[in-house]
Amino acid sequence: MKFNIEDLPVLFPYPRIYPEQYAYMCDLKRTLDAGGHCVLEMPSGTGKTVSLLSLIVAYQQYYPEHRKLIYCSRTMSEIEKALAELRGLMKYRAEQLGYEEDFRGLGLTSRKNLCLHPSVKREKSGSVVDARCRSLTAGFVKEKKERGEDVDLCIYHENLDLLEPHNLIPAGVWTLDGMLQYGEQQKQCPYFTARRMMPFCNVIIYSYHYLLDPKIAERVSKELSKDCIVVFDEAHNIDNVCIESLSIDLTEDALRKATNGATKLDRKIMEMKSTDAAKLQNEYAKLVEGLREADEARDDGAFMANPALPDDLLKEAVPGNIRRAEHFIAFLKRFVEYLKTRMKVLHVISETPPSFLQHLKELTFIEKKPLRFCAERLTSLVRTLELSNIEDYQSLQEVASFATLVATYDTGFLLILEPYESESATVSNPVLHLTCLDAAIAIKPVFDRFSSVIITSGTISPLEMYPKMLGFTTVVQESYSMTLARRSFLPMIVTRGSDQGDISSGFQIRNDPGVVRNYGNLLTEFAKLTPDGIVVFFPSYLYMESIISYWQGMGILDQVWKYKLILVETPDSQETSLALETYRTACSNGRGAVLLCVARGKVSEGIDFDHHYGRTVICIGVPFQYTESRILKARLEFLRETYRIKENDFLSFDAMRHAAQCLGRVLRGKDDYGIMVLADRRFQKKRGQLPKWINQALLDSDTNLSVDQATATARKFLKTMSLPFPARFQEGISTWSAEDLAKHKAKLEEEKIRELQHGSGDRHVHGQDVIREAEGEFDEEGIDDAMMELDA
Amino acid sequence: MSRLAQRSGPPAARREGEEDDVCPVCKSSRYLNPNMRFLVNPECYHRIKNKFRKQTFEDIQVEREVDIRRRVAEVFNRREDDFNSLLDYNNYLNDVEDITYNLINKIDLDESERKLASYASRNQQTISLNVQKSLQESQNREARQVLEKEQARIRREAARREEQEEKRDREEGRRDVINMLASSDGDASRIAREGQQAVLKRSKTRQAAIQKQQQALSSDSSNGAPNGGFFIQGLKTKVEPVDEGPYDPFQGFSDKRKYFVQQNRYAWDRLDRLQKDTNWTAGGYDFREFCSRTLCEAFSGLGVFIGEEVTRTDPAFVGSVATVAAAEAGAGSKDIMMEDPF
Repeated sequence: MKFNIEDLPVLFPYPRIYPEQYAYMCDLKRTLDAGGHCVLEMPSGTGKTVSLLSLIVAYQQYYPEHRKLIYCSRTMSEIEKALAELRGLMKYRAEQLGYEEDFRGLGLTSRKNLCLHPSVKREKSGSVVDARCRSLTAGFVKEKKERGEDVDLCIYHENLDLLEPHNLIPAGVWTLDGMLQYGEQQKQCPYFTARRMMPFCNVIIYSYHYLLDPKIAERVSKELSKDCIVVFDEAHNIDNVCIESLSIDLTEDALRKATNGATKLDRKIMEMKSTDAAKLQNEYAKLVEGLREADEARDDGAFMANPALPDDLLKEAVPGNIRRAEHFIAFLKRFVEYLKTRMKVLHVISETPPSFLQHLKELTFIEKKPLRFCAERLTSLVRTLELSNIEDYQSLQEVASFATLVATYDTGFLLILEPYESESATVSNPVLHLTCLDAAIAIKPVFDRFSSVIITSGTISPLEMYPKMLGFTTVVQESYSMTLARRSFLPMIVTRGSDQGDISSGFQIRNDPGVVRNYGNLLTEFAKLTPDGIVVFFPSYLYMESIISYWQGMGILDQVWKYKLILVETPDSQETSLALETYRTACSNGRGAVLLCVARGKVSEGIDFDHHYGRTVICIGVPFQYTESRILKARLEFLRETYRIKENDFLSFDAMRHAAQCLGRVLRGKDDYGIMVLADRRFQKKRGQLPKWINQALLDSDTNLSVDQATATARKFLKTMSLPFPARFQEGISTWSAEDLAKHKAKLEEEKIRELQHGSGDRHVHGQDVIREAEGEFDEEGIDDAMMELDA
Repeated sequence: MSRLAQRSGPPAARREGEEDDVCPVCKSSRYLNPNMRFLVNPECYHRIKNKFRKQTFEDIQVEREVDIRRRVAEVFNRREDDFNSLLDYNNYLNDVEDITYNLINKIDLDESERKLASYASRNQQTISLNVQKSLQESQNREARQVLEKEQARIRREAARREEQEEKRDREEGRRDVINMLASSDGDASRIAREGQQAVLKRSKTRQAAIQKQQQALSSDSSNGAPNGGFFIQGLKTKVEPVDEGPYDPFQGFSDKRKYFVQQNRYAWDRLDRLQKDTNWTAGGYDFREFCSRTLCEAFSGLGVFIGEEVTRTDPAFVGSVATVAAAEAGAGSKDIMMEDPF
């Protein structure tokens, strides 16, 4: 369907649109016009991706700036889904417009997923694929070949050089699969095709890491212009991604490998000195000038990049005492030895980077400044030495990144040395964590560089938490409710068992037999009444295991077994995917199954239980983080001191966003229905932290139920759901056709005129008005009459 | 054979590999004597279980390297602000590193030692100055760390107190409501609502107070420091101004005589006699004053060349110039033009 938002004509690839989609688009346009950042929460399963894409593509094509879209998502499957949506959208646009627009949309993922080289692609580990690919494609390898040396090259990569550099692949939208097929046909490398075509794309879809992880971002995303529109989809976990991308853990094993790497480098330097000293001298001369100049030839085949170095530092010359290759190696060795010494301590230490640096200086005479240049200097050296088997130096590179980070940031980081894996362990296995406490550090370059950053997800409440934690300001910050023609999902808070005993996963009572039995009863009851699949989320693996063993002893599993197959998620991803597959088969065969999983596990993020795959989701206990973790404690302290976020507020926010993610798994569209059970006494007080769309559907009467009450309510709900509900009931209420939209606009116009007559008027269409109006219609139209007709 | 066993302290958990440590001298191993401690000789870097000092690093080469570096760092301690440009500084660092590298790897050992020694003897003053500077810096840093720690502790305490107060308030509010409900016979829901509002109000006022307090805390420290561990980076360390000594109103003018040194006693009969005569001394008359004046008169005029003065100054003032010059010469000052003649 085709409609205008203000002056912008939008082509939407479906005949009907949801009111919230329209509202979402209006707010998006407002953000783009204003040129700022925004946080938008859109209920899951209401077509967020397609609304986003169709509005932004329309925006790109209509306005002369042709701003590029960078769409970041979490997983490979989400990237593929988004690409497929985009493809559909462009096909629809071509049909409607009558011509093909000059448009390119590409997805980028790791080498491992895009490799075609017959032997490399068979490697299982991603880093091995990366390393082998580099050794076949690096610039110096080709030079060697040209000099007549006998080296292997990747034919897929070589073929790219025969093509026009700006036209490696025909215009259009290419899914990852499509790229692989095209690459196989044309014998060209899909990975490098995508990488090299990025400057010529209208839409780029890739994973968060390409923008947030400074090690990769510098390389992949540095050429993107300032006016790009950046979208982070499924961004409710973005702060953790930011933090992880800047945190480094070192183990004794890694340090040993780093020493080996340094020794090996030393040998290589000696070799090169005797064979090709000019090259080293050349590098030395360049380093005298500065890193940037030395790095002009940063190419695809290069080593890894530096983490988050401030730009002005890169322009500075490398400190004199690490200019020479042999000096630098001695420097690295000394640093690694120092770290090894630190590892010998048998009690927990947490210290700030400045205090670490001071101690380092006292012991080894390593200054802060050369340490800062460590990562970059190593990259330069590796490039000069033309090393091909880079995986030997991975640990050394990690140490170098560690050095650079610890010397670059005084605040926002903490070093924690944990000598034992667990409290009861007697054999030490020390880990030195350099943990980033401030999510804003990693994402700051993104906000600084791009004028419009859109952060969106199905569950991103409370909205104001994100700007606070990530350090940015928004122009639009909105949460949409779900317009429904009937109540198609039933959220409930169960606080008591049938025996009126409180249920909670709080650690004082979590192993109480009464509580465990009540949870068991809850599961049994819902296994009886729910058609098809049930998904149960526990706060942690540990708790899940203990509860399952209790249930086994109490005979609860035997009871559930009568109704459903029971499957369990494990930390092993292969086992889990097998369990998932079995679960789906069981659901499709009619009897259904129970999947027991963990709120922070793989299942809770990114796996959809649409329709019969998930009719009930039970959240057993509030999924708090493990609060005894030292890293978490440090972060909480940092948040309180820097952003004035209280410990409990953050923990509660974090638990609720995971709970909301779990609940959102079962409802994947407007024709879907499901029951959401929050089974913990403490949820009652945390209700306000649920996303708006869930909170609105949660009736006050359903917030303090016992197990038997909840069972009765669920039965009633399922009965109404079992009534036939033809699509036409939704028309005009939760789905709009073109006429409905026109009607809505006319109404809005009228209102505006009225407002203008009364005085001030807001020029923009606000998303919230749309939703309010749609809900108003829902009340007016009176679905009951229609229902009665149907019954009769 | 001396044996230095570590008797105090519980045996720490050891990592594997250390079990095979064998003393090359007495051949006893850790397996037999778990408390044995290995030490390093700082001269030959052999690992022996015997006197000497404790080993810091696993790699003996690094242990030795660090010792050499300590020696070098004590001598070559130039700072970046000693140099005109960054390039110069980097070149200096490079040269120092070359010397160190040679010392460590025993390349041109004599030559390097000589360089080190000659630099040390030539630059003694700057070396000690820079040592002082870095000492000062480390003291400052320590002081700042202590301050920061203290402030963090205060903040933590405040947060805890705040939490407790909030909890207490809430409980009090609840108790109040229950009491009200028990004692009065008003509308129950109204009372509950009012109670809630009271609690809300109290918590709001408290929060405002806390905010104010925090603002005060964060603004009172210099350098904008501890607002959440933030402090300004890159402040240039201030150079202490050179000590100018006490204020001198005469700006270096001194009444020291230039041409003569007055003695305390002059061998002159008449003077000796008069000094003993109470008629002369009763009034407090000091004979040194007399000598001073006499000497002054005798030497006044020396070092004054009227011919030069006349050509230099305006003819109109010639007459007075001589006297001024004489007076000044008499005062013995080097600075002839010190005073405005008028």
